[in-house]
Amino acid sequence: MNLTEAAMTDNDGMGQSHGRRIMWIILASLGIVMLAGAIMGFLSERRAQGDGPLGTGGILVMLVFVALIASLAFSIWVNGRKIKSSGEPLTKKERLNRNILIGSISIGAAFGIFFVATGTLSTSSSTAVVFEGATLQPALALFLAFVWGVAMPAFSWFWHKRVIDEQEASASRDGGYYAAYAFLVGTPTWWVLWRGGLAPEPNGVAIFMLFSLIWSAVWLWKKYC
Amino acid sequence: MKNQLKILRAMRDWSQAELGEQLDVSRQAVNAIETGKYDPSLPLAFKIARLFGRPIEEIFDDEFNGGSHDGQ
Repeated sequence: MNLTEAAMTDNDGMGQSHGRRIMWIILASLGIVMLAGAIMGFLSERRAQGDGPLGTGGILVMLVFVALIASLAFSIWVNGRKIKSSGEPLTKKERLNRNILIGSISIGAAFGIFFVATGTLSTSSSTAVVFEGATLQPALALFLAFVWGVAMPAFSWFWHKRVIDEQEASASRDGGYYAAYAFLVGTPTWWVLWRGGLAPEPNGVAIFMLFSLIWSAVWLWKKYC
Repeated sequence: MKNQLKILRAMRDWSQAELGEQLDVSRQAVNAIETGKYDPSLPLAFKIARLFGRPIEEIFDDEFNGGSHDGQ
């Protein structure tokens, strides 16, 4: 072993292992949000059908949802503790990035749960609201349009210019390329298959979600793996 | 691209977080550069070279061994 090898710290490679833990925390957080949405959708369906007593099947479904959420929450806690106990401090940008991510997920989840729980979005089930373009109240439509069309771009600009470093910017660009090619290849393919009667009608929301999912997945992969 | 960043960092006994703080990048960025998964931009490469007081070509190796670097 030479001098330089001997001088390497015990924390070498820590960034990579932390990266995977952070990625798992992010994915688990998204999983919790999606499961919470599934629970709200399930309850909305029941409400739409008259709120009868929750049968054995319904109780089992709810227990599975709760168990999954508890498992994901536990994994977040375990990974968080491992990161904290390693003693490796976050850089200033990482702290800001982490806080923004936690804040965004929390606010988004809180709004989503509130809208579905109170039936603010629509009288239809949550699935219909998302995929079938169910009617929104005009004030709510204006609010959501402002959030998505004005606040989100301004916030994204700040995030790109002030928060992330060039490696994450590169990962984000790569995600955009993959998503753009998936869009360019996938959308016309789906469209012609639909015209040929071989596929259901293309759904704009589903395309948007797939685009976003591919972008996010590649971004996380390139950033952490 | 191969580089000497991990060795240079170890010689100063810096963690990835400490180096990242000085370069104003994340630990993931330092790790990705060290493992050759990400090639830094020219400004960041110059910043690294200045920080360690060495020329860029001493830190980064483009593995070009088939001829001279002046195109001859």
